[in-house]
Amino acid sequence: MPGLVEISKEILNNKQAAYIIGYEIDKHNRVKPFVAHNADEAERLTFNHHALNNLAVYLKRLPKPKEGKIGIVAKGCDIRAIVGLIQENQVNRDDLYIIGVNCSGVATDYDVEFNPENTQIKCKYCQLKTPAVYDVLIGESEEFPLPEDKMGDMMAKIEAMTPEEKFTFWSEQFEKCVKCYACRQVCPLCYCEQCIAEKSVPQWVETSSSVKGNFAWNIIRAFHLAGRCVGCNECERACPADIPLSLLNKKMGMTAKQEFDYSHGMAIDQPTLVGNYNLKDNQDFIK
Amino acid sequence: MKEVLISYNTIKETVAKLLNKEWNVITPSPDGIRYTAITSSDEINLAGDQRPTNISVKEFFFPKTDPVFYFKKNQSEVELIDAVLNDKKNLFLGIKPCDAAGIPVLDKIFNWDYKDEFFNSRVNNSVIIGLACSYSDPQCFCTSVNLSPDSTKGSDLFLIPVDNSGFRLQVITEKGSAFLKEFGALEETSGPAHPKNSTVPDKKFDYDKVKNWLDNNFQSDFWKGKGELCLGCAQCAFVCPVCHCFDIIDESCGYECGRRVKNWDACQFGLFTKHASGHNPRNDQSKRYRQRINHKFKYYDDKFGEILCTGCGRCSRDCVAGIDIGEILAEINTF
Repeated sequence: MPGLVEISKEILNNKQAAYIIGYEIDKHNRVKPFVAHNADEAERLTFNHHALNNLAVYLKRLPKPKEGKIGIVAKGCDIRAIVGLIQENQVNRDDLYIIGVNCSGVATDYDVEFNPENTQIKCKYCQLKTPAVYDVLIGESEEFPLPEDKMGDMMAKIEAMTPEEKFTFWSEQFEKCVKCYACRQVCPLCYCEQCIAEKSVPQWVETSSSVKGNFAWNIIRAFHLAGRCVGCNECERACPADIPLSLLNKKMGMTAKQEFDYSHGMAIDQPTLVGNYNLKDNQDFIK
Repeated sequence: MKEVLISYNTIKETVAKLLNKEWNVITPSPDGIRYTAITSSDEINLAGDQRPTNISVKEFFFPKTDPVFYFKKNQSEVELIDAVLNDKKNLFLGIKPCDAAGIPVLDKIFNWDYKDEFFNSRVNNSVIIGLACSYSDPQCFCTSVNLSPDSTKGSDLFLIPVDNSGFRLQVITEKGSAFLKEFGALEETSGPAHPKNSTVPDKKFDYDKVKNWLDNNFQSDFWKGKGELCLGCAQCAFVCPVCHCFDIIDESCGYECGRRVKNWDACQFGLFTKHASGHNPRNDQSKRYRQRINHKFKYYDDKFGEILCTGCGRCSRDCVAGIDIGEILAEINTF
């Protein structure tokens, strides 16, 4: 992407950021996360349709620099996660140097060609092809053809199911879970210092990969992300068992939008959905 | 080594016969996620060019959750009930060489100071038919860990596709031979030598050289920051055909009963080495990554004379952070 390397070098040389979290291409042409600590390393930074990772996850994991800000290359869906973290007081806006990137869609995997069939479905729902918050903005956003909405079709199919059918559907999906918790680890909004799945006195969530334990884990995670998930779909991409986690998260997001007109990670100064109470909130669930 | 020619149809008929005799027949699922038991002989999958399934065949021998025993409270006494071992016969058909090779590697740890009857009974009840592999991608590196796309390690019988006529079937073990006698309607032939495999992965590193470096460089600066981008999701261990760490936990099913189970665990989790005091000897991801590499390419070899890796490339292929174990070993190879 034009300008990315030049701007990054300047930021690092001027000590505006201690390091920059971005992407590099490895020798097998795979685009993967990379941290540039100096101007030489910044030469390796890149961005294209295969920059899949939501780098915001590293904001809570990499050591905080003693001096200077954390630089981060961010496309729209990553920006929502960053803004979400700021809204939730996990990251301070002043500690970040955001290199916003205009995004023209990302592929489903690192080894497939970028075309409408291999474009992530999240791009169809994207509200931020140009990031809303940044210190510097690079690239041009281009129109790109969108894939068929298989997720929307699946959502409609599940909506039409009876509760028993829904239970059967999700039992079959969660049966596949191997409890690796990769969904949690890649999630920028899953930042609890101690996850409920790690508490053993009492053991809230069975560590066994049983229907009960798998349901408990996946439903608890969905609930924790209700009104907080920013729809980056990294959990689904990470899942080795191909569980369609985005369906759960999307449903929660749609409910938040419908009932409270709220989308997470859209504005820094907006109070969070679960951290805020409004007398006008819908109360008809109280029977 | 005995070799016979076998047609696709003969395999199919044999599978149908086995399914009638209530055998489990397990092949790679066409969606590429894992190995699955089939219900009809039409579902057999002998595509040697398929990418290794996301999750390895390990879970059939060492399941993600493995009950050891159950307990029940009867008034003031606690009754212990043994977990029932399933004695159903299993045929594993079309197993990747990098998956089959994992079974004898796991056998070492499960028969070390304690004989794990659960693992052993599953292995004893299984016949493994490996299938020569014609898939290769940049993450594959079986050739660097003393294996190859047609290595028969861990297989009882081994299939090598021959043109469109069927397969050459190699008899590897006594068990495989007995299986053929019982179920095979085969005649020995002297067909053409099998074609050379054209998709052999490049050798990425020299194992002996890597091992030698690991022997002397536990404290090396090389490890510093190696885990910087690792998210600690441990998916690498969960998809691995030979990672075998587990946790033992008691689970209740209410107030009166419960079970003790072995559940998969992994060294990339921070919790893995965290002591009750709060102290954690592997307190950052780089130390955990060093452990992963050393366990696979040094400790296991020191203890059991086997490399704890079959070069299937799953851990690198599936890593969300794009960490490639083959590349890291190739880097060590340059020191």
